[in-house]
Amino acid sequence: MASLFLRRAGVSLLSLLLVSLVLFVLTRSIPDSPARIVLGDEATPADIAHFDADHGLDKPILVQYFRWVGGIVFHADLGKSFTTGLRMNDQVANTLPVTLELVMLAFVVSVVVSLALGTMSAVLRDTPLDYGARLIAVLGVSVPGFWLALVLILFFAVDRDWFPPGGVVPITDDVYEHLRSLVLPAFCLGIFYMAVLTRMTRSSLLDVLGQDFMRTARASGLSRPRVLMYALRNALVPVVTIAGMSFGHMFGWALIIEQVFNIDGLSHALLQAIQQRDYAMVQAVVMVFTVVFVVANLCADVVNASLNPRMAAAA
Amino acid sequence: MIRLHRLVNGFGGPAGFLGALIVIALLVMAVGAPWIAPRDPLLVDISNQLLEPGGQFPFGTDQSGRDVLSRVIWGTRASLSVSAIAVVIGMAGGVTLGLIAGFYRGGWIEQITVRFLEAISAIPILIWAIALVGIFGVGDMRVGPFVLANEAKLMILLGLLYIPTLARVTYTTALVQSQANFVLARRLQGTGGLRIMVSDVLPNCLSPVIVQATLLLAIGIIIEASVSFVGLGVQPPTPSWGNMLADARNYLMSGEWWISVFPGAAISLAVVGFNLLGDGLRDRLDPRHAAAVLAT
Repeated sequence: MASLFLRRAGVSLLSLLLVSLVLFVLTRSIPDSPARIVLGDEATPADIAHFDADHGLDKPILVQYFRWVGGIVFHADLGKSFTTGLRMNDQVANTLPVTLELVMLAFVVSVVVSLALGTMSAVLRDTPLDYGARLIAVLGVSVPGFWLALVLILFFAVDRDWFPPGGVVPITDDVYEHLRSLVLPAFCLGIFYMAVLTRMTRSSLLDVLGQDFMRTARASGLSRPRVLMYALRNALVPVVTIAGMSFGHMFGWALIIEQVFNIDGLSHALLQAIQQRDYAMVQAVVMVFTVVFVVANLCADVVNASLNPRMAAAA
Repeated sequence: MIRLHRLVNGFGGPAGFLGALIVIALLVMAVGAPWIAPRDPLLVDISNQLLEPGGQFPFGTDQSGRDVLSRVIWGTRASLSVSAIAVVIGMAGGVTLGLIAGFYRGGWIEQITVRFLEAISAIPILIWAIALVGIFGVGDMRVGPFVLANEAKLMILLGLLYIPTLARVTYTTALVQSQANFVLARRLQGTGGLRIMVSDVLPNCLSPVIVQATLLLAIGIIIEASVSFVGLGVQPPTPSWGNMLADARNYLMSGEWWISVFPGAAISLAVVGFNLLGDGLRDRLDPRHAAAVLAT
């Protein structure tokens, strides 16, 4: 178990290094230098040289890269924006919590619902309930979240006053209003993965239930619920892997959802940074998202290893 | 009757057949847009602003008096071309890598390829697609003698990001196929490795790849729409389903529902079509293979 974790962590760390290098080189290889973007077209070469020296941009690119990575690893410092001069850490600290809360909420709800729905669908195979669950799953993967968001805003916020059309009420103002303002965005964010995970749970559980050892278990007198628990334990492995990936991917979709609902989250900050051509910020946000993604996958591996000890032994 | 039955089963049953019909209809719309669309999708007509669906305009008109129906039809082109070319790029790269790694198993080629794929699969696709389009700047980009439109950038990026998924699918199948007896037989006949790989192993790996590619087409449509929706994909005035929805957002509160409902319905229909076709093809071509799962 520990060795599996260490091996996976090592691989993750390597891929993070690689990913950060690619990201860094790409942001430095754009034709417009940061100095040009900030100082404008009228800047003299002397101005630009001065700006570059100030921000350490005159150093070779690898030196710049190791400074940046060193800052992140040793000082937990993501650097400063060239265009606004704001510290990235503050920016992330201001915007990450709301995105994190939104994604967590969407993730937990979609995992819980999809496990229940998928299990029900597999156990009650070919009943109307199963057809209903499968229909929801097909619709969920087909309807784009941001369009659903527009339609739901129209229906629940404009026509009726059930939920606010956008923005998030700070939790310090009013806990109930805060949660109410998160319902629509979280639903639109989670529905796709809820559908994906429901399908996976159903098909994976059906696979396991069809195997011989399940019949043996029943024949040797284990009760149905007990057998189902064993089956679930085996069936969950692929579901957990995909759930781990979903968590990371949700941060990407959060970008679109935050845009629709006017939420000032980290994904929204990424979009703003792109529009303002603030590449240092783009770099920082993408790095944060990639770390979240990698850590979520790592967690999924660990959960799987505890669900199925053979996987840990094989590693 | 028997012929129809056979045709339906060819797509894995009625659902898959329905998917195929939807996909064919979309292809016809994309290719034939200039002839099918009743009006010019770019024609601004202020006297016909924001008309409700009906009469001359079955889907109504938008804020500039443009015909929503014609724009939805032309939008098919943008969505399908981005998604399809991305999948072609992903297949070219992914199948090649996966095939080589699976066929020359146990060697350093396999090691390097598998590690490389592992490293890039640590990348959340959508964020990277958005960030990369952002880094390269929205709008045309000059690469040597070529000018890349924004759509082209999106296609290439998406295609590169599809490579790991398709490579993994090919790799797992190629690994098994390369050890099959017919490969051994070919070797005993004295056929060269490269030749066996391309003409014997490759055709046997294609079923799962085709299934996965169909599902990626559906995802590509959603990603194109999402990226265009936030203004980083297909640029106005060229209509795409995503940027039509971005316009529609401004008219949400005032009750002009048709501007947002029709493009959204088109996206959903397209995604349902590709998903049904993909599931049907899986039942038909690759029934024992579990869903090699979604890439986003």
